[in-house]
Amino acid sequence: MIKKALIILLIATGSSFAQQYKTYNWEASPKLHELTSEETKASSIGILKNHIVEYSSSLLLPDLKRYETEHTIVRVNDDKGIARHNTVYIPMYEVTQVIDIKARTINSKGDVVLLNQENIKEVKNVDEYGDFKIFAIEGVEKNSEIEVLYTVEKEFDMYGSEFLQSNYKIKEAKFTFITGTLNSNIKAYRTSEKFESKTIDGIEAMTIVLNDIPAMIDEEYATPDANKIAVVYQCLPRGQDITQEMFWGNVSNNIGRKFFPEKASILIDTDLTNIFEGKEGLSVFEKAARIDNFIKSNFNVVKNNNEELTDLNYILKNRSASDFGILKVYANFLKSQNIEFEIVVSASRFEYKFDPDFFNPNMLRAFLIYLPTEKKYIAADRIEYRVGEAPANILGNYGLFIKSDLDYYFTKITQEDPDYSKISRNLDISFDEAIESAIIKEYQEYSGHWSATNRGVLSLSNDEGILQFKDYLTGTGIEDKIEVAYEAENTDINQTEYNLPFIVKSTISSESLIEDAGDSYLFQVGKIIGTQSELYQETERVNPIEMTYPNQYDYTITITIPDGYTADGLSSLNIDKSYKSKSTGEKLCKFESNYIQEGNTITITIQEFYKTHEYDLFRYDEFREVINAASDFNKAYILLKATE
Amino acid sequence: MKKAIILLLLLPYLVFSQDFSKEDYIFLKRNEHIKIDVQKGKFNISKSISEQAEYLTSKKLYFANQSMGFDSFTAIEDIDAFTYLPSSDEKIQVDYIETKREFDNGIFYSDQESKNFIFPAVTKGAITNLSYKEIIKDPHFLGLFRFGSYVPTKNAQLSIEFPKNVTIGYIDFNTEEIQVDFKKEDSKHGYTYTWSVKNIDGFQGEEDSEGALHYLPHIIVYIKSYEERGKTYNVLSDVNDLYKWYTSLVKQIDDQSLEKVYVIAEEITESITGEKNKAEAIFNWVQNNITYVAFEDGLGGFIPRSASSVCDKRYGDCKDMANLLYVMLNHVGIEAHRTWIGTRDRTYSYFEVPTPMVDNHMITAAIIDDETIFLDATDSYVPFGMPSAFTQTKEALLGIDTDTFKVIKVPVQNAEKSTSNVTSQFTLEDGTMKVNEKRELTGYEKVEFVSNYIYKKADKTDEEFLNTTLALGNNKTNYSNFTKENLDNKTDALKLEYDLIIDNYAKTIADKVYINLNIDRTLSKSKVDLEKRKYSKKIDYKFNKNFISKFEIPQGYKSNYIPKDLSFEHHNYGFTINYSQEGNTIIQNKSIYIKTLSIQPDEFESWNTFIKSLIKAYKKSIILETI
Repeated sequence: MIKKALIILLIATGSSFAQQYKTYNWEASPKLHELTSEETKASSIGILKNHIVEYSSSLLLPDLKRYETEHTIVRVNDDKGIARHNTVYIPMYEVTQVIDIKARTINSKGDVVLLNQENIKEVKNVDEYGDFKIFAIEGVEKNSEIEVLYTVEKEFDMYGSEFLQSNYKIKEAKFTFITGTLNSNIKAYRTSEKFESKTIDGIEAMTIVLNDIPAMIDEEYATPDANKIAVVYQCLPRGQDITQEMFWGNVSNNIGRKFFPEKASILIDTDLTNIFEGKEGLSVFEKAARIDNFIKSNFNVVKNNNEELTDLNYILKNRSASDFGILKVYANFLKSQNIEFEIVVSASRFEYKFDPDFFNPNMLRAFLIYLPTEKKYIAADRIEYRVGEAPANILGNYGLFIKSDLDYYFTKITQEDPDYSKISRNLDISFDEAIESAIIKEYQEYSGHWSATNRGVLSLSNDEGILQFKDYLTGTGIEDKIEVAYEAENTDINQTEYNLPFIVKSTISSESLIEDAGDSYLFQVGKIIGTQSELYQETERVNPIEMTYPNQYDYTITITIPDGYTADGLSSLNIDKSYKSKSTGEKLCKFESNYIQEGNTITITIQEFYKTHEYDLFRYDEFREVINAASDFNKAYILLKATE
Repeated sequence: MKKAIILLLLLPYLVFSQDFSKEDYIFLKRNEHIKIDVQKGKFNISKSISEQAEYLTSKKLYFANQSMGFDSFTAIEDIDAFTYLPSSDEKIQVDYIETKREFDNGIFYSDQESKNFIFPAVTKGAITNLSYKEIIKDPHFLGLFRFGSYVPTKNAQLSIEFPKNVTIGYIDFNTEEIQVDFKKEDSKHGYTYTWSVKNIDGFQGEEDSEGALHYLPHIIVYIKSYEERGKTYNVLSDVNDLYKWYTSLVKQIDDQSLEKVYVIAEEITESITGEKNKAEAIFNWVQNNITYVAFEDGLGGFIPRSASSVCDKRYGDCKDMANLLYVMLNHVGIEAHRTWIGTRDRTYSYFEVPTPMVDNHMITAAIIDDETIFLDATDSYVPFGMPSAFTQTKEALLGIDTDTFKVIKVPVQNAEKSTSNVTSQFTLEDGTMKVNEKRELTGYEKVEFVSNYIYKKADKTDEEFLNTTLALGNNKTNYSNFTKENLDNKTDALKLEYDLIIDNYAKTIADKVYINLNIDRTLSKSKVDLEKRKYSKKIDYKFNKNFISKFEIPQGYKSNYIPKDLSFEHHNYGFTINYSQEGNTIIQNKSIYIKTLSIQPDEFESWNTFIKSLIKAYKKSIILETI
C-alpha cells in the first residue's frame, strides 16, 4: 500500500543493450561439489547463491525493464535438510513475465533428475504476499545437490533489496547489479566486502562476492532476521539524478499531504460528541487517550487488497481501514482537538534496521503517530497499545518523522520514560502446620509494556488462553501450584490514565516447593520468582544483544519461619551481578538480591533491571552473567531445621 | 409485593436459558439447510447457510473477519453479508470480498481456497448477518454440522430437504448433555428433517485434549441411496458402498512403467530371506527415500499417484507412499493391501459413518504368517512392526480386492514396546554434581526423541537441545560428551550417553549435603485442573520408564538419611521408587508406567492423586554427613 503512495512519475529515454540473463546458464553436466567433512555434518549447506539484477531499455521499447535471475545450489545431508529445501516458492510480486524456471537434483551417485515443468503450480493471492509459482524438487535423497535457476521480468521499480545470508551456511554468494549507463546506487549491510565495478558484455555492472557466509542463527535477545547480510539498490530512470534527500523529501510530501487535513471531516462530529460530551478541561494526553480508546473500540485494521480502505469517507462509514488508512482517522480526530502530531514511518527492528542514509521503500513498514508536546506515541494498528511509549518491536529503530508543514527529520525511536516497564512484587510466604505446603500471598504491579501485554492478552484471548495466562501471572514453573485466590485490577484495555499499573492480588499454595530431607525441609524459595531464562549458548555469539525493552523488577519476599524451626543456608540468597557502562561506571543492568533476618521473619529484596535494551556484543559474557544470575536465584533454597 | 411477582415470573425462564452476558461475542443463530435433488442419477445439492452474531462488547472486533473455504468439490455462491447497528437502525452492506489461498505447513499444494471479507462497523451492540449458498458437486461429501461452535450459540439448526426417492442416514455425536429437537416433515415434494438446539455453550480446545470432534456436539448426514424407475442405487448406504467408491478411485491409479519400481523392490530384497525381513527392508527404503510432500488437488486428493512417478520424484503423501509399498510388497510376493484409516482426531467407525468423513489417512497392511502388520511410511522413524502412534485404536479398512474388504482395529501398542531405560552414575566433586547417564529408548519413545532431534533442534547445539528437551536437574545443567547410536537404524534401541555437570544442585549446609536423585521429573507437570478442565486428556502412546541411579558417596562422608520406598499403583498408571545402599553406593530404582491412551474426566481425580504422589516422591532427598 505504501509503495503506491510513493510512486514518482518518471520519463525514461531509450538506450539499447544486451541482456545478461540470456547468456547466463548452469553447468551442462553438473557434478557434486567437494565439501569438507564439517560441511557434510550440517543438515544442508549452500554451495552457491548468485543473484543478478539487470535494468535495461531499448530504443524500440523505451520503457525501462528489470530482470532478476536467482541461481542456487544447495547440498542436503539429512531429512531436515531435505525438508528445508525440497519445496520452492517463487514470489510473483511485481513479476510481469516468467522468463524461465528450471531445477534439477544431482544425487549422491551423480544421477541428474530434471524438474518436470508441468509440475510447477500457480497459487493466486496467498494471504498478503501475492501470487507464487511453487514446485517440489524431484529426485532428492540424502546427500543430493538441489540446483534452482530462474529469471523473471519485473515491473520497473527503482528500488530493491536482497538477503545474501540464510539460516544455513553459504559457501559462495554473489550479487551482480547491471545498470549500464543509468545512474544507480548500491549498498551492502553487515559485511566488510566491497562492490567492484566491472563490465559484463561491455555493460557497466557492480558485483560483490562473499565466501563462507556463516548461518544466521536464532539466538535469544536478538533480531536475527534483521541482521542478515543484505544489499539494497536504486536504479534511476535515464537522465535522472535523485539524491537520498530528494527521495525522503518526496515521501514526506506524499505521505504528509494525506495526513494533515486543514479541517477535520464533519463525518466525525457525532463520534466526537460521544467521546467528549460533558468532558471539559481535558489535557492533551487525556484527549488523545480517549480518541485512541474510541478508535480501537470501533475500527478494525484490515489486511486485504481493497483499495478503498485508505479512503477516509469509506473508512468512516465502514469503520475498517488499512494500516495506512487508519492514520487518516487519527489525523482527523486529533486535528478536531487541535492536538499537534507527527507521522512516523519506521519498521520492526526484528525485520529491518531502518537506514536514513539509503532510501529503500521495503523498510517503510510501520507507522506511528508522535505527539511532540507529550513525547508519546500512538500505535494506530496495535490493538494492545494505548498512548505511551513506542511499541517494543520498533523501539531502537530509526524513524522518519513527518511534521505538519511536511518538513521531516530522522531520529532514533527511544523510550522517553526510563522507568516505563516495571514489575513490583510483594510476596508473603507462610507454611501450613505439617510443613507440607507453602502458602504465598502475592501483590504485583505491572506497568508499561508489561501492562499493555497483560491487558491485551486478557481481553483478546479465548478462555483457554486466559487460563494459561493466569498461570503465568501467578508464577510459572511451580508444578503443583493451586490458585487459592485471584483478583486483578485495572484490567480494561481502554485506560485514560498514563501508565496505570495492572495489579494482581493472588494467593497460591504448592507442595512441590518443599523438599523433604529427613527431619528437615528444603524450601525452594527461588522458584517463586518463576522460571528464569538461562543463556546456555556455548558457541560464539553472533547477534548483537537486543532485549525486548528496558525493564525492572523489584521484589520484597517475606518468609515466616514456622514455629519449632530455624532457617539455615541463607547465603545462596545473596547475589550481586552487574554490567556497567565503560564510560560512566553506571550500572546498565544488574541482578542484586539480599536478605535480612529478624526473629522468625526473613525478608529478601531483589532488584533486577535493564536500563537500555541494547548491549555490547563484545560484552556478551557480562550481560549473560546478569541474566543467569536471575536463573541462579531461581535455584535458591532455605533449609528449615527442627529446633532440637 | 410487586417485586415478588416479577421474580416468580422470571424464575422458570432463568432456569432454562443460559446466561451469556459475560461473553464478548455470541452467535444468535447458525442455520444450515441442505436441499437435495436427483434427476437421472445426477444430484443437485446445495446448502443454504445463514448466521447471525452479536457483539456484546467491543473487545474482540477481530471476529468481524470471515472466511469461507471451498475447493474443487464445492462452490460458494450468493454471499449476502451486512452489519446491523440497532442503536442507529443502520444497515451496512459488505461490499468487498476477496478470494484467497493460504500456504499450509502440512499440505504443499491444495485446491483449497477461501472467500474472505470483514464485517463493517462492528462495535458493541452490532449484529452481523451472513447468508450464502454452498454448492456440493459430489454426493459423497455432505459434510458435518456443528451444533456447538467456538463461542455460544443461541439457535443452531440443521435441516435437510430431499425427495421421497432418496434415503438419507444421519448420526449425531457428543449430544448427551444437550437437548436436540428433531422434527420430520412430510410434504408432497419430499421430506424435511430438522435438528435444532438452543443456548449451547462455546467449545474451545484444552491443553493435551483430543481433537475437537471428540467433544464438540455435531451431526453427520449422508445420502444412503436413491430410487429411480423401481431400481435402488446405493450411494453410501453402508461401508460396502464406501468401499465400492474407493475401489472406483483406486482403479484410476496410473500403473504405467512399474518395471522400474519392481527393479528397486528386487534390489532391496535380493540378498534377504524371509517375508518379514523383506517387508522390513522395503518399508525402511520407503521411509528413508520418499519425503513427505502433499498435493491435494480435486480427486487427486483421493487417488494415489503412480508408484513409478513417486519413485522418480522421491516424494509423495500418505496415499502415494501407501500405494508404493503396496506395489513393491506384492511384487516380491508379500500379501499387502491399500488401507484407509482415520487418525486419532477422527472418532468414527466405518460401520456407523460410512462416509469419507471417517478417514483422513492411508497406510498399507502387509499379511505375513497370518499376522497383519500396519505400515505407515509417513512416519519416517517408526520401527517396522509398529503402526504410527496416531493410528492406534483406529479402524483400518483393508482393500482385499475389487469386491472384498476387511475392517480391522489397529492394536494399541503395549507399554513394554516403548521403553526408556536410564542408568545414571552420580558423583559429587567439590559440591558440584556430576552425572554420567545412558539412555536406551525403544518404540515410540525413540520415535519421539528422533523426530524432535531432527526437526525441532533448530539452530541449537546437541548439548543445548538436550538441556531443553530432557531438562535434567535444572536449566543450568551442562551437557558434554554426547554420543548417540542407532539414530538411523530403525530396529535397534536408540542409545544416548552424556555427562552432566549440575551447578546449584547439591545443597551443602553446615556438615550436611542434600542430594535429590530425581534429576528427571517426567510427568511432574501433568496435573489436570479439576475445576476447569472439561474434556479428556490425550496420551500419545503407552510407555515405561525405568531408572537406575547410583550415587557414589564421596570420601569423608557417610549417609545420614535415605528416603523410604514409595509407590502408586493403578491399572492404567503408576510408579515405584526404592532406595538401597551397597557399600559406598546409594542406589535408587524407579519405574513409571502409563498404560492408557486417554484420561477421561471421571478419572481426573485418580490421575491427580498419581501425579501428586509422584511429585511427592520426586521431592525426597538423600542426606550425607561428614564423618
